[in-house]
Amino acid sequence: MFYEYVAIGVVLFVIGGLGVVFNRSNIIIMLMSIELMLLAISFLFLINSVVADDLIGQIFAIMIVTVAAAESAIGLAVLVAYYRARGTIIVRSLNLLRGKIF
Amino acid sequence: MYILVLLIPLLSAIISGFWGRKTGTGVLTSSCISITAIISGWIFYETALNGSSTYLKLWGWLDSELFTTDFGLQFDSLTSTMLILITTVSALVHIYSTGYMSDDPHIPRFMSYLSLFTFLMIVLVTSDNYIQLFIGWEGVGLCSYLLINFWLTRIKANKAAMKAMLINRVGDIGLLLAMFLIIREFGTLEYSTISSLLDFVDRKNLTVICLLLFLGAVGKSAQLSLHTWLPDAMEGPTPVSALIHAATMVTAGVFLIIKSGPLFEGSFLVLTVVTFIGALTAFFAATTGAAQNDLKKVIAYSTCSQLGYMVMVCGVSNYSISLFHLLNHGFFKALLFLSAGSVIHAVNGEQDMRKMGGLIRSIPFTYTMVLIGSLSLIGFPYLTGFYSKDLILEVTYGKYYIVFAYWLGSFSALLTAFYSVRLIYLTFITNTNTNRVVFRGVDESSLSITFPLLLLSFGSIFVGYLVKETMLFNTIYPVISSYIKITPFVLSLLGMLLGFIVFSRTEGVYNKFEGHRVLYGFFNSAWQFNYILNNFFVNYIWKFGHLITYRIIDRGVLEIIGPRGAAQLLIRSTQRVSNLQSGTVFNYVLIMIVFTSLFIFGNNAGL
Repeated sequence: MFYEYVAIGVVLFVIGGLGVVFNRSNIIIMLMSIELMLLAISFLFLINSVVADDLIGQIFAIMIVTVAAAESAIGLAVLVAYYRARGTIIVRSLNLLRGKIF
Repeated sequence: MYILVLLIPLLSAIISGFWGRKTGTGVLTSSCISITAIISGWIFYETALNGSSTYLKLWGWLDSELFTTDFGLQFDSLTSTMLILITTVSALVHIYSTGYMSDDPHIPRFMSYLSLFTFLMIVLVTSDNYIQLFIGWEGVGLCSYLLINFWLTRIKANKAAMKAMLINRVGDIGLLLAMFLIIREFGTLEYSTISSLLDFVDRKNLTVICLLLFLGAVGKSAQLSLHTWLPDAMEGPTPVSALIHAATMVTAGVFLIIKSGPLFEGSFLVLTVVTFIGALTAFFAATTGAAQNDLKKVIAYSTCSQLGYMVMVCGVSNYSISLFHLLNHGFFKALLFLSAGSVIHAVNGEQDMRKMGGLIRSIPFTYTMVLIGSLSLIGFPYLTGFYSKDLILEVTYGKYYIVFAYWLGSFSALLTAFYSVRLIYLTFITNTNTNRVVFRGVDESSLSITFPLLLLSFGSIFVGYLVKETMLFNTIYPVISSYIKITPFVLSLLGMLLGFIVFSRTEGVYNKFEGHRVLYGFFNSAWQFNYILNNFFVNYIWKFGHLITYRIIDRGVLEIIGPRGAAQLLIRSTQRVSNLQSGTVFNYVLIMIVFTSLFIFGNNAGL
């Protein structure tokens, strides 16, 4: 009955993933994309809990929202600390740890 | 008694080698080897004269169920004859060396090597199987290396010693292969078993075995094509040359042929090859000896020539004559070498005959000794060489199918006479070419040098007459006309006469020959054998070794598929893999996503 919403969740997830992959300039967009992916997943959990008539999905969704909040808080803290150290938050410049030997 | 003949030289070598500095080795080693000589005289009396061969099994050497070899000694008439020769000449060489080498600081080492040489030669002749013979065979090779290289600071001595060792090694490989084949064919290496199994063996394999054995003999006895080490071995001190060329090392090859006589009898082809090579060697060395200017090299080439005679007569199945000549040759060649050493000693180490001359008044004793030795070598009637040398040529003529060996041998007899006279003339008779200071200082050597010469001169005069009945009791003399019988003798007289005429009356003739660069150069450089071997064999093998096996295979192909190639491959691929980690976050995410989805799809597909 609510299956058509699954597609929305998946599309949102893919958009979030693509946002992480194709984003080369701004690290905040990256964080926002991660948030989007988490939201898409909790949306899918909700859909599925409704479809399956089961509460566990909703419990999971609430936990994911909590985790996402914590994660974005820590992520933004790291971001601020990083900005203090480097003075820039362009993703392309985040390449100090390379695997290249020379 | 019988084991003592092995033990005493070994003890002598060990004592003078390890404790020579404290004990003073000259008297010790000389007396040890002299005692050995006396013992071997007793052995000769018991085994050869009384005809009681002795076999001693000492201990098991190899035991692998199918193939057993004992360390055993065998004393028969052949062995005891060789023993007499080896120990007598060696004892005299030892005594001689105490005088000749008295100025040398390393005399304990020298005496130790000499005794070790004698010991290993005795091991060689007394063995009752091929393995033990091989120990002696390699051992005398090693000792020849040590002795030729005795003055080890001289680069020429180093090179000559290496050459001797390596060329001998070519022959040794023949002997080794022959031994393997003998094990395959006969299942044993003992002479007695082999000779009793001869009728049950395939002739073709026997031919191969004999050819390989002969290759060994060619290397050791300096026959044509592997002879080049022998003249170079003159770089050692003169007593060494006397020991190597008269009694011990070079006779080992002939001894091997004589010992393997029953095997050689089974193969007609090999006998022909043996005669052919022997005759060619005799001829080649005689022509070369006539054009040498080094006193010792003349005698070295004459050794080569006489060994050719011995091998030649083995090829016509007269082994006892070969042994007889070996014995006689041992005595007069040792005499010649030691007197040459005496001459060299007298003229302060000068070896070039062109820078000698006129020594007859200053050292008449040495002159007499050289004369006796040379006349014996020429085969002058009633001297030692006469009894064996002319017999060899007669016997060779008796085999009609290889009569060319007779003519080659006879012509070599002429040349032998010629270069012997040349040697005597240039060294003793002509006007002197020596430096005045040296010439006034020329004097007979001390007693320790002259005494062995005296004994050897007795040997060179009498041995042939005394031993001929015991050695040749089973020889069948060929029926040939007296013209043929007398031809070699006439030819040698002619050679002597030629030598006298050329050097006393018409000196210009030989000088003109010496001036002829192509002809004289050809003979003086021993038919260019060194050049041929170096250019067509050694050089190619050398280059092959460096370019192909070393550079291309060892350092090339094997390195690339081996350690270096694997290392480079690993380094490159790991670099490629680590280049995947670009340091940028979006790449990591892409990789993560790609591989996660691959993992999921793979799981779904059941991979």
